[in-house]
Amino acid sequence: MKIKILLRGTLTKYFEGDKERIAEIPDSCTAEEALKLVGIDWTKIDNFGFVAINGMRAMIYDKLKDGDELKAYSKISGG
Amino acid sequence: MLGYQNKVLRIDLSKKTAKTEPLRMDWAEKYIGSKGLTIKYLYEELKPGIDPLSEDNKLIFMTGPMTGTTVPCSGKLSVAGKSPATGTICDCSIGGHAALRIKYAGYDAIIIEGALNKPGYLLIEDDNISFEDGSELWGKGCHETEAILIDKYDHDYSVLTIGPAGETLSGMACITSDYYRQAGRGGMGSVMGSKNLKAVVVKGTGKVEIPNIVDAVKRIAEIEREDTLLEDNTFVFDLGTTAFLEACQDGGILPYKNFSDTTDENWTEYNGDVLMEKLAGKRGCGSCGLGCGNFLKIGDAICEGPEYETIAAFGPNAGNRDPEAIVKANQVADDMGLDTISAGDVLNWAMEMTEKGIYDFGIHFGEMDKYIEYLKMMAKGEGIGKELAMGVKKLAEKYGGSDFAMHVKGLEYPQYEPRGSWGMSLAYAVSDRGACHMRAYAPNEEVFAASIPPYTPEGKGELVFNLAQFNAVKFSLCICDFWATLSMDTMAELMTLVTGKEWTADDMAEVGTRVINIARAFNQREGFTAKDDTAPKRIFNDALKNGPAAGQKIPEEAFEDMKQQYYAVMGWNADGTLPDSLIATL
Repeated sequence: MKIKILLRGTLTKYFEGDKERIAEIPDSCTAEEALKLVGIDWTKIDNFGFVAINGMRAMIYDKLKDGDELKAYSKISGG
Repeated sequence: MLGYQNKVLRIDLSKKTAKTEPLRMDWAEKYIGSKGLTIKYLYEELKPGIDPLSEDNKLIFMTGPMTGTTVPCSGKLSVAGKSPATGTICDCSIGGHAALRIKYAGYDAIIIEGALNKPGYLLIEDDNISFEDGSELWGKGCHETEAILIDKYDHDYSVLTIGPAGETLSGMACITSDYYRQAGRGGMGSVMGSKNLKAVVVKGTGKVEIPNIVDAVKRIAEIEREDTLLEDNTFVFDLGTTAFLEACQDGGILPYKNFSDTTDENWTEYNGDVLMEKLAGKRGCGSCGLGCGNFLKIGDAICEGPEYETIAAFGPNAGNRDPEAIVKANQVADDMGLDTISAGDVLNWAMEMTEKGIYDFGIHFGEMDKYIEYLKMMAKGEGIGKELAMGVKKLAEKYGGSDFAMHVKGLEYPQYEPRGSWGMSLAYAVSDRGACHMRAYAPNEEVFAASIPPYTPEGKGELVFNLAQFNAVKFSLCICDFWATLSMDTMAELMTLVTGKEWTADDMAEVGTRVINIARAFNQREGFTAKDDTAPKRIFNDALKNGPAAGQKIPEEAFEDMKQQYYAVMGWNADGTLPDSLIATL
C-alpha cells in the first residue's frame, strides 16, 4: 500500500532536507515498521519525538492503512 | 564562592535610600541564585498575609552565579514578589540584557522596598544610584517609555519598565525589557506600579570573576559546542516556538474557543511556516548562542514573536485564524504591559460568557478588532476593560461561568489543553504560582513522545516531580528553558567551573527539591492547601470532541490520585502540607 511520510524538525535530514515522501509499504505495517523501511529507526534516534497518523497523535506501534499520512516529529521542548 | 558579586543593592523607595549589603552566601549555597535564592529572600523577609500591592511587598531582581559569564543561555533575570493575581509566591524569568547589566554594575540582586510618593524611575550606573522623576513617562506604553529612556541615556543601558497595565495595578501586568521581553506572569508589573516605579534603568561596567578563567572559559566553550549548539536546541533559531503549533494540533492539546475543545481545522492558516514567511528580523538575549527571537511583520503589525502561547491564546482559543490579528494583538499587549496568556484567557472566557448568554461582555469569538481594543481598555482600566482586568477567577466569582474559568489559584491557564496531557493538569495544579507551564512541561514527555500514554494518572506524580525538580535547578542557575539537552551533570559541572566549589548532580537535584519546598512553604504560610491544587470543572466534566484526545476528560478521582502521587514523592503530607521536619531544612 502507499502512504505519505512527513518529517518535522530535525528529522528532515533523513529525507535529505525534504519534508515528505511517498512510500510503498506492506499491508498492516505499523508506524514503526514504515519508518524503518525508509531508514528511520526511532529507537536509535535520541531526539525522536512522536508520530501522528492523519493529523492525530498515535502510538509508534499503531497500524497504517492505504493512503494514510504518517508524520514523525523530532523532540520538542521548552514552552 | 566566585561567580557572585557578593553584593545586594537594597532600595527603599519611601526613604529614597540605596544601601548595599553582602549576599547571604549561606543561602546561595542552598538555593544557588535566580529563582531559588529570590524565593528564599522573600520567604525570610516578607511578613505573611501582606497585601501584594502595599508598600510591604518587595520586588526582587535576582541574577545567578553564571550571569555575565560565557555560560550559554545564562542571560535570564528572575523577577519576584508576592503575586497580586494569586497571593502566592511568584517568580518570573525575563530575557534580554538586563540581568547582565545588573551583574556588571556589581550586584547579584536588587531588592526594592517601600513606594515612591509620585511616579519615578530608578537609575543605576554602577555605584551611582539616583531616583529620577517619572511623571512624564507615566501613562505611556512600554515601547515608548523604553525608547525615551534609551534615547536619553544610551544603548549601553537596559530598561525594565511597566506599561499602563502596571500603573492600573492589573494582576496580569508584566515588566518589560528590550521592548518585547517580559516577566510576564502573576502581575509583577502591578507590584512595580504600586510602588510608583515606572522603570529601572541600569548600566554596568564591571566584571564577573570566576576561578581559573582561561581553562574555565575554554571548557565552557567546549560545552557550548558539544551540548548547546546541537540541532535539538537550534530549532528555536529557525522557528522559535512557532514550531509548537503544529505539534500541539496533532498532539490534541491546542486549545480551541476558551478550552471548550482542542484542535482547529483552520490551523494551517496561522501555522509556524505561514508566520515565518513574514520574518523581519532576529535577535537573542545576552550570553545566548541560540537566538530564538523572531520579529514578524504582517501589514502594519510587528512584534517579536508571537510565541506559541500567544498564537494559541489570540488564535484558536479566541476563535481567530487571522495571523495579522494575532501579531497586532501581541504588539498591543506587549506595549500595554499585559501578559498575553492571562489577558487572552480572560477575553476568551468573556466571549464564551457572551455566547452562552450568561453575561454580555459585548464581544464574540473571532471579533479581533474589538479584542484588540479590549486589550487596551483592560490595561488602562477603562470601561468594561476595568472589570476584565480583574482576572478570570474574580470575574467568575462576580458574573458566573466558573466551570469554564480557566485558572488555578487565580493564574490563568497556559495554552496546553490538559485533557490531552493529564500530567499537565497536575503540573498546573501544584505549580508554585498558579497555572504555569514553565514549572513542569508534561507534554514533552507524555504527548511529544512515541510510546508514553497521556490519558492515565499512572506515573504522573513522579513525572511532574522530575520535570519540576529539573526546572527548579535550571531556573535557579538563570539558564533559559531552550537549552533542552542540558543535564544535571552539565549543570553541576558549570556550577563548579564558575564558583570554584565542587558540585555534583546529586547536589543539584537536592537544590531543586529544596526550591520546590520553600516555594510551597511560602504558599502554605499564606493559607494555601491541597484544596487549592485544583483544575477548572471543565477539565473534569466535559469530554473533548475533536482531535486525538476526543472523548477525554479527567476523572476527579484520577486527578486526586495524581496529586497524592506527587505529594508522596515530595514527602509532603496527604493534605499537601509540608511536614515540620521538611520546613526545618529550608
